[in-house]
Amino acid sequence: MSQSLATQFATDAMTLARVREIVEQLAARDRSGEMLTAVHHIPAREAKFAPMPEWVRTELADAYGEKGVSELYTHQAAAAQAVRAGRNAVVVTPTASGKTLCYNLPILNAVLENSDTRALYLFPTKALAQDQLAELHDLSARLDHRFGVFTYDGDTASDARKAIRERGHIVLSNPDMLHTGILPHHTRWQRLFENLRYVVLDELHTYRGVFGSHLANVLRRLRRIARFYGSDPQFICSSATIANPGELASRLVEKEFEVIEENGAPAGEKFVVFYNPPVVNRFLGIRRSYINETSRVAQEFLKLNLQTIVFANSRLHTEVLLTYLRHANPMPPGQPPAIRGYRGGYLPGERREIEQGLRAGRIRGVVSTNALELGIDVGSLDATIMAGYPGTIASTWQRAGRAGRRSGSSCAVLVASSAPLDQYIVQHPDYFFGRSPEHAFVQPDNLEILVNHLKCAAFELPIAADESFGGVDVPELCERLSEAGFLHRTGDHWHWTQEAYPADAVSLRSVTSDNFVIVDITQGADVIGEVDFSSALTTVHPKAIYLHQGQQFHVEGLDFEERKAYVKRVDVDYFTDAIRYTQVRVLETAATERIEASSTDAHAARTHGDVLVRSQVVGFKKIKFFTNENVGSGKLELPENEMHTTAFWLTLERPLVESLQFSLSDRQSGMFGLLHALESIATLLLMCDARDLGTAIGERPPSPGSEIEWEEAPSIEALSQLAEKEFFEPNLYLYDAYPGGIGFSEPLYRAHQLLLTKTRELIAGCACENGCPSCVGPVGERGERAKEAALEILARLGA
Amino acid sequence: MSLMDKFAHIAALRPANKREIPRSTAADASLEHDRLAQMLGAQVRRNHYGEHLSLQQWYATPEICIPDARSLALLLPQAPEADALLASAADPEKWLFLDTETTGLAGGTGTYPFLVGIAWWVAGGLQVEQFFMRDLDEEHSMLLELSERMAERPVLVTFNGKSFDWPLLETRYRMTRTISCTTPAVHLDLLHPARRIWRLRLGSVRLKELERRVLGDGDRALEWSRDDDIDSSLIPQMYFDYLRGGPVEPLAGVIRHNQMDLRGLAALAGKILALFDSGNGLPDSADHGSYDPIDLFGVSRMLLRGGNSNRARELHESALRSGLPLQVEQLAQKDLATLAKRELDYVRANSHWEQLRQPSNGANPKNNAMTQETQRTLEVAIEAAEQLAMYYEHHAKQPQRGIKLVNTAIAELRDAKSVGGITAARAAKIEARLTRRLSRLTLRRAKKISSNRSEGVGLAIDASFDIPIDRSKVRAGKKI
Repeated sequence: MSQSLATQFATDAMTLARVREIVEQLAARDRSGEMLTAVHHIPAREAKFAPMPEWVRTELADAYGEKGVSELYTHQAAAAQAVRAGRNAVVVTPTASGKTLCYNLPILNAVLENSDTRALYLFPTKALAQDQLAELHDLSARLDHRFGVFTYDGDTASDARKAIRERGHIVLSNPDMLHTGILPHHTRWQRLFENLRYVVLDELHTYRGVFGSHLANVLRRLRRIARFYGSDPQFICSSATIANPGELASRLVEKEFEVIEENGAPAGEKFVVFYNPPVVNRFLGIRRSYINETSRVAQEFLKLNLQTIVFANSRLHTEVLLTYLRHANPMPPGQPPAIRGYRGGYLPGERREIEQGLRAGRIRGVVSTNALELGIDVGSLDATIMAGYPGTIASTWQRAGRAGRRSGSSCAVLVASSAPLDQYIVQHPDYFFGRSPEHAFVQPDNLEILVNHLKCAAFELPIAADESFGGVDVPELCERLSEAGFLHRTGDHWHWTQEAYPADAVSLRSVTSDNFVIVDITQGADVIGEVDFSSALTTVHPKAIYLHQGQQFHVEGLDFEERKAYVKRVDVDYFTDAIRYTQVRVLETAATERIEASSTDAHAARTHGDVLVRSQVVGFKKIKFFTNENVGSGKLELPENEMHTTAFWLTLERPLVESLQFSLSDRQSGMFGLLHALESIATLLLMCDARDLGTAIGERPPSPGSEIEWEEAPSIEALSQLAEKEFFEPNLYLYDAYPGGIGFSEPLYRAHQLLLTKTRELIAGCACENGCPSCVGPVGERGERAKEAALEILARLGA
Repeated sequence: MSLMDKFAHIAALRPANKREIPRSTAADASLEHDRLAQMLGAQVRRNHYGEHLSLQQWYATPEICIPDARSLALLLPQAPEADALLASAADPEKWLFLDTETTGLAGGTGTYPFLVGIAWWVAGGLQVEQFFMRDLDEEHSMLLELSERMAERPVLVTFNGKSFDWPLLETRYRMTRTISCTTPAVHLDLLHPARRIWRLRLGSVRLKELERRVLGDGDRALEWSRDDDIDSSLIPQMYFDYLRGGPVEPLAGVIRHNQMDLRGLAALAGKILALFDSGNGLPDSADHGSYDPIDLFGVSRMLLRGGNSNRARELHESALRSGLPLQVEQLAQKDLATLAKRELDYVRANSHWEQLRQPSNGANPKNNAMTQETQRTLEVAIEAAEQLAMYYEHHAKQPQRGIKLVNTAIAELRDAKSVGGITAARAAKIEARLTRRLSRLTLRRAKKISSNRSEGVGLAIDASFDIPIDRSKVRAGKKI
């Protein structure tokens, strides 16, 4: 054993000891036995090898040989073979299992066989493409630069673009750039499209919900342009573990896929720990703040000099945790901090510097949003601490994989929040550690999304009358677009007839492509970051405390027209949380059915259909650091936001409401509590993000589409009393938080029985007495018998 | 629910513009097309790909200009193949002026050139031909005919055609997948020389502006007037309205606009070449006196870039003599100083740098709020100081004079910054540069002193130094 390997071994052994030490300490503190709900040990795994296929050209095999790869892992060999045979393949692999070889090997082989061959790699983020570039450059150098590889994204210099279009055998890009930069200018990419044989989609599981539905349409456009140039590329995808990778790939690409799931890569031993913060008030079901607990757990690891990554689920929590951990790990003045923050709003240079610092070990801890979840190379860290369940099992494993990527021992701790989903997961470890139950879901035929891409498609190439595009009636939509002035029919084709460039108006990631720029006006005017339109209202409203790199900024003003938020540095002991007021108007019902409960008369209905949602941020709360006390509030007058979407809702009819033997306040609380729990279970069933669904309760309209007057948004004081106003026949809405809907409503309508049953399990199984944040919501905001009332309503609904 | 109802709520289907979309009133589109052809006096052209309209018109003005090779060379890139390009471009009968009217400025594959105007010299005047797409499916036949015209005259002359018209046409040809585009042998884009010549004087070099202030200036007014010209930003919408059955009349304005652009382009070519002739001092060229000195200075700068430094020096100096606005004068002085320095004529270079150190009326930053001009004046003065300091450092071996200059420059910079005469970021950058220069000079002076000291002289100078010597740097310097 060489010296360095010996050292490595010793380090690993020490890490192992320290990781075990911490896990034991955590367990020892858990006197009630309720805190550590799971300590899951994953033993080290041996590699399973397969020989290098004989069709691999000698020079390529040699190049890999020089890098120390003379044999393949079994999944790599299977993937390469499938690609070689001309099949579309999706490889399901955990972090650090050598997935890039799965596509690089067959593609480079094809390029070496025929230098006209072209491939397009798509990564969900620019950063991932940058990361892959290094690997491919290395291979290119070993192969006497016989193939060209370039990234093509917003950062690519304009003078380099021409060379990339001509000489790039492999172009690394992202869906957004394909959408706005490549497809609308496809004539410049003639060589690429004429010879396009492979398209690689990395991190496939990230393409779900809104982003996935957009991507499916971008790929429709891509295949359409490829056809124009006479090519029909093969698709190779890689995905984290989900239940339906093959189905997702087929939905996105609209082709058949071979799924390669068996992983042959080795891995070091790992502990996965579920940590449920201790209950401080059993009566109210209140646990210790999971943010504070995360900070404490992270501190245990940092104290033993284990390099640690902390994931938070929101920008706000990233900044709060960063503040705590910096506080606990002060550096001498003048020294750069050893704990850093990392999230989307930071500028690219700052991010590159943090990545390097992590690889070099200079930075001992990093607090990140999901920005570091995907395969950016930050080296192998020792521990991952997650503040709250990341929302999906796939994300949780990916985050856990940031520690101990290559070898050695590592630890991942999930600190549960009191959110229902978190509690459900940590209390049902089998659900988590068993075979993945998660289905990634896309709705490529969401009309709002599809129509936008149909416009882009028309810009790229006139649409023929007999063309198909998704599951819609293309001529009918084109006629509508002509009437609206976007297209013009000439002969058998619809042509784009607008000056504007349609792709510019379509963002693949959010409702609008608008961003607010954050301008620091403490001294001069420096742009320090940006936030998208939808989160701007809640994060940079006037008087909000905006946090950036642990520094607090007070929002001095929000310029809606110019999309700018002006902030000044401050030092205060609180952060802010926005208060929204939401109303729903039913436009039309798609399907409705009475709910027949066995023992009682049917006095309820379930429906799904189209709704108009109007919401407004009416104020904000000031919340004190460390104690989370509410230390004040403020009113806001911000423009309201209106959205047409789809929703699923339950209607509780008058006899049912009247039959509930509770005080008015408890009855109302029961409804809000039930909705809270319904939302939690819905996100679990739909494998979607909590922010993809919205909830509201409103009076049932006399008939669909009837013009209900929007109410003035109430004052904050009135808002708290509003819960006291009795609903005559309430509708409990779960709506898709995306214009046009993302297709959640219909599945919820279909699965309503499961939804109600699981919701009942969640509430009934909760350890609290009268309701808590994990089931029906915090007791302070609900009547005392909210939990009981919610269960009673469920019983009337036959659950 | 019905599909129609569902569509009603789709934001992406909401009308693009608030304005009314015209509806076709004519029963038959082909009748409309005939009416259009009649109104415009156009012919229908047919080929394998279909039909389109062609309009022809001959104009006596602008008159043909025969380019002189030396002047023409200034329009060509300085490339190894310049001689070959020059030979191809020498015959003005091979020139093809081109200007397109399109459905947008965004570029990309969804922008159509619905009107392509070309023009060439014939019978001493200008023959204009315009191809018009009566509908979007007439593009291919139009492109084929254009390709044939371009093959006859391979020297393409445009205004901003390198970044707009030509890439757009290339895209259109590629979109056909069958019609090959005739790549011009030479492409002269007059926007770039126009910028070099007139931006100093006019700021804007839009063609319309040049027509008004350069081409139609003086006793020879242009024979066309832009007074009733259309607003070019409305052109795409006019065409869309027409496509959707709106009236054909507004298109006459678009066609006339394009004709004027082509004639303006041809006139501009003549004007630029005449200026170059004058710059080159050709015998038949008009007297310098008939041109604005600033324009001639612009030409002189092009000569300088083209490597004709002797001629450029003459012209620069004559421009300076005839009096230039301050900003332009600074440019001229700087050019001359740089040129002299390159030729190792330090005396001459220094005299120009010294000129730039002279305080001038408009350039006192203390009395002015920050404007781009005051900031530029300040920066030029500081650069001159640096250049002089470099001279004293490297050639005159008088570092103390250099130190004094740099210190003065730093003081000027700080003064200007204190009254907002320069942005803080810019000032910091310049000051960092000056500080580096200062420490180099200081080192050199220290070396000089120590060598003087060893010879037993020069110590007396020490007392007159206005900044203390940084000993640590002196030691570090000695090691090197």
